[in-house]
Amino acid sequence: MPIKLTDIARLAQILEKSGVDTIEIEEPGQSLKLVVDTGPRMAASAAPAAPAAPAAPAIDHSVIAKADVAGHFLAAHPWRDQPFVAQGQRIEAGTTVGLVKIGLLYAPIVAPAAGTVDAVIAETGATVGYGTPIVRIRPLS
Amino acid sequence: MIEILSVTGPASVQDLGRFDQYRFGVGTSGAMDDVALRAGNILLGNDENAAGIEIPMLPFKLRFDRNMAFALTGADVEAEISGRVIPPWWRSRARTGDVLTIKAMPRGARLYLTVGGGIDVPMVLGSRSTQFRGEFGGWHGRPLQVGDILPCAASTATIGELGVEPAEITLARPNTAADETIVRVVIAGEYDGFDAATQALFWSSSWKITPQSNRYGYRLQGPAVKPKAPIEKRSHGIVPGVIQIPPNGQPIIQMRDAQTSGGYPKIATVIGADLWRVGQARLGSRLRFEQTAYTDALAAEAEMSAYLDRLRTNVRLVEETRICRSS
Repeated sequence: MPIKLTDIARLAQILEKSGVDTIEIEEPGQSLKLVVDTGPRMAASAAPAAPAAPAAPAIDHSVIAKADVAGHFLAAHPWRDQPFVAQGQRIEAGTTVGLVKIGLLYAPIVAPAAGTVDAVIAETGATVGYGTPIVRIRPLS
Repeated sequence: MIEILSVTGPASVQDLGRFDQYRFGVGTSGAMDDVALRAGNILLGNDENAAGIEIPMLPFKLRFDRNMAFALTGADVEAEISGRVIPPWWRSRARTGDVLTIKAMPRGARLYLTVGGGIDVPMVLGSRSTQFRGEFGGWHGRPLQVGDILPCAASTATIGELGVEPAEITLARPNTAADETIVRVVIAGEYDGFDAATQALFWSSSWKITPQSNRYGYRLQGPAVKPKAPIEKRSHGIVPGVIQIPPNGQPIIQMRDAQTSGGYPKIATVIGADLWRVGQARLGSRLRFEQTAYTDALAAEAEMSAYLDRLRTNVRLVEETRICRSS
């Protein structure tokens, strides 16, 4: 089914409201990439994340747990003091490493592979979007 | 089907309640925290009146005899299914043979387990709720026991992991201290039978919830609140939320399994929008009453409805997004 112009307009509105800057949709025979100009917001959110990330090793085998929905990142459940995962923690594939808060809902962010938590990249409260890196994991072996 | 492997205290099957039989003296029963039961059912795409299990005490353990979606809402919970941790106010999936273990309830007093399609016990007098007093409804009209195998309705919904912001966070009340629940009340029929000093005592006291508190009613402990002169009334209709003052001056809040009539003087009534807060107040913790006007009680009701409306909309939106992405 072709993507209609009205769909694109609606998607752009959603992007703007949710604070997500990019969306890519790929379907057989067509692809769509929408980029919203969120320059100042990008700069603001990129700054605190940078110092937290240690220098990447020469060959980076790490895997990244990413958000798959737009919202605000929560490292811990609001009823918990402890975050879902902490640096150095051993986790399994499918472990919940954090939440994305969308309105009243909490969508889990899950580890794509078993390993050790290298770093929680995202900051609690940060606006995240589809594909935003949340946790870097050093996979087993 | 689900099989109860371990149960303590009166866990029971409850839906929102039995509302059409009051004139025959049949009380409402129903979930003590109706907001939590609704939230669980909304998460699962169920009818909001679908029956779930109300769990007031631990340990509690059950096994799923087929693949199904379930949700835990209400009290905060430390729960595990096949080694996976389930956060509070959460829906997840169980596979055939999975065992769900409820290990702790760090806050709140009642946990609700809802399943995709609902617990499929027969409707009795228009509801699936267990009527403890009359011993009907729910599962054979009694609390659950080890070995009970509860039928679950079929559900076609395909469902991923998802959480909800607990109602206690969204509908937080100002000035709430830890271990004290503030509930809003409107004054009731015999309020004027108490002198001003006694009325003030009722409002200012921090009432302790005694261990003699359950689905029938909460018995509170504090300074004696007594009327100017003994009030003798014939039994008359009462509803869950009514606060009675028996001769010893220690208030009783009528709850979901209350009788439909009583004769003690009524000093006040907990508003409908705050009854769930009473249902989640723990034994030994404290309650304080805040006087509210009828119009504010209606506004609180509207606020609660707005929370549930938002929840329905949010769940529908996230579900649509996921379907779009996977198609």
